[in-house]
Amino acid sequence: MTLSGIRTMARQEFRVRLRTGRWRTALMVWTSVIGLFSLLLWSALQWLGVTSSIGVTMFSTLMLFVLSLALLVMPATSAQSVNGDRERGTLASVQVTRLTAADIAIGKFAAAWGTGLVALALTTPFAGWAVLEGGVGWLRALAVLAVVALLIGVVCAVSLAASAVFPRTTTSALAAYLAVFALSFGTLIAFLLASALTAETVQRTYGERTVETRVPQTHRVWGWLAPNPYVILADAVPSAIPAGPAGYVLGFEAGRASQYAVVGPVIDPMEWIRNGVRGLRVPPADDYGAYGEYTPYGDAVAIDPRTGEAEDGGPVWPYGLAFNVALGAGALWITVRRLRTPMEEPPGGTRIA
Amino acid sequence: MPERPPAIVARGIQRAFGRVQALRGVDLTVPYGEVTALVGPNGAGKTTLLLILATLLMHDDGGVSVAGHDPVEDPGAVRAKIGWMPDSFGVYDQLTTDEYLTFFADAYRLPAAAAARRIAELLELVHLTEYRHQPVHVLSRGQKQRLGVARSLVHEPEILLLDEPASGLDPRSRVELRDLLRGLAADGAAVLVSSHILAELSEMADRVVFVADGVTAGEHRLDELTPATHRWRIQARDPDDLAEALSAFGVTATEAGGGHEVELDGDDAAADLLADLVTDGVRVTAFTPLGRTLEDAYLDLTDDRR
Ligand SMILES: Nc1ncnc2c1ncn2[C@@H]1O[C@H](COP(=O)(O)OP(=O)(O)OP(=O)(O)O)[C@@H](O)[C@H]1O
Ligand SMILES: [Mg+2]
Repeated sequence: MTLSGIRTMARQEFRVRLRTGRWRTALMVWTSVIGLFSLLLWSALQWLGVTSSIGVTMFSTLMLFVLSLALLVMPATSAQSVNGDRERGTLASVQVTRLTAADIAIGKFAAAWGTGLVALALTTPFAGWAVLEGGVGWLRALAVLAVVALLIGVVCAVSLAASAVFPRTTTSALAAYLAVFALSFGTLIAFLLASALTAETVQRTYGERTVETRVPQTHRVWGWLAPNPYVILADAVPSAIPAGPAGYVLGFEAGRASQYAVVGPVIDPMEWIRNGVRGLRVPPADDYGAYGEYTPYGDAVAIDPRTGEAEDGGPVWPYGLAFNVALGAGALWITVRRLRTPMEEPPGGTRIA
Repeated sequence: MPERPPAIVARGIQRAFGRVQALRGVDLTVPYGEVTALVGPNGAGKTTLLLILATLLMHDDGGVSVAGHDPVEDPGAVRAKIGWMPDSFGVYDQLTTDEYLTFFADAYRLPAAAAARRIAELLELVHLTEYRHQPVHVLSRGQKQRLGVARSLVHEPEILLLDEPASGLDPRSRVELRDLLRGLAADGAAVLVSSHILAELSEMADRVVFVADGVTAGEHRLDELTPATHRWRIQARDPDDLAEALSAFGVTATEAGGGHEVELDGDDAAADLLADLVTDGVRVTAFTPLGRTLEDAYLDLTDDRR
């Protein structure tokens, strides 16, 4: 593996990608969709009469949207990279050159990630707009972009591995989408099911009354949520909101949303995810009655008796990010192995040439 | 000067794909400085053998050495020395001919200046210079094939493995390919070329290796194959006249292909027979030598085709 080998392969892939007219259209559509979303979001906030820190709301929502769109689009760009080349009959000719399997795999990965980063770069004007609306520090903005960039890389690596493992391009695309689905929704489903299994009977006193309830011990299974890209993004970036009473910041009780939206503090979807997930790490309090409080979360969150704030169970993102980086690295390793020649078996009944 | 060891030595190579035993013991020697033809029926295992030699596929059993290296143990060393052209290959969309070759020059780690010079030279060689800035995918099949030849030569390999390089080429390009390969062999390269066009191979190759059903059925020098007797096909305005005259001269003839085929002891005997026939008043319209030695050997070999 050499740097020049990787560069040769990446340059080639990048050129082939950008040459096809389809790509220019795709990037244009991508930019328009994000532009339109920003505009609609801004208008909606204006219409609602949100006054406080509109930038925070915009930025947070926009970047979650960008992440969603990236998770949707990235598999399509790289899930046919290796087996597509095999089908077109261009891979074997490259494999007999002095480029090694690692050169080819990492070069392809770099080109795919690079394309994703170009797409991400195209969203910066809109992210910048949100930042200019105020309330979001540049550091936070950069952190968000960096985490999204990293997650895009992970999805690219996983998609590339799918294209190296499966002989047919349709199968590999499906596999890549399943992987993204598993990360975004599978983790949530697994967490919900797992936390149901942890439920224990607990006695609770609400003022005068003592009630027996089944309480899920989420602090034992929060790990299932850690690999979720939305959780990582929301949890990893520094909070935009100065600490305040939890019930207030998160005061989103049914029927009162609009009231809070207008007069209340900052609406920040990332903050909701972040607080929600960190709250899951806190063991449920034995006795709520002593503080006479009941949180909008129901049972999941305990209130710290000293500060009156939701207890913070500690960050989740380091685990999630570590998991995802390991996943990406593992995917690259599989890709390299699958590209190694001489091959023992041609993949799934295909011919090499 | 001591004799250079052969470029390729393969002994008892076996390779199975699932339950299909594609190669069941192939022996092959390819010396430097000569063109070796690889001939055999469809499915004989020629492409599979070339894939193994080109470091793309592992063999199950047997021993291989290419350019003095084991393609499994040290594929990198082998790759630096070989040029491989598959029987069917794709080209990247949207790249120009020039960019396509430049990519491969980079992939073979040629310095940029040397690469540019080499590519100009190769484009000239395969007559694609005027298509230098054309996208690769608009080239015709034969032009693509010629581009493939150029690609396999980018790094000036000493060993060439070509899988049916002549398919899709027009007659002039075939002659040029033949001359090109002969020239490379004359310069000391080892050329192994598979093809089904036997007439052409017999003009191009020094040696021929027959592969049938996954085993080497024969390794010959081409001049060994040339038998003492040659065959001619004779046609005349009146075939009966011809048959009568031939039997009168005591020449055994077999009717075939709208004429009579005879076996004669070389060119002098042929010239004599023609003169005799004409003197005898047979109106001869064609007197064709049948350069079918390779084809004969091939047909003998594959008599029992499944
Ligand atoms: N990847 C593969 N999977 C399964 N079987 C294969 C594979 N590649 C080749 N074979 C089988 O191996 C045998 C030899 O195939 P190969 O392509 O080497 O023949 P060939 O001599 O090149 O034929 P042709 O003259 O038609 O090009 C055939 O029976 C073929 O079906
Ligand atoms: Mg073949």
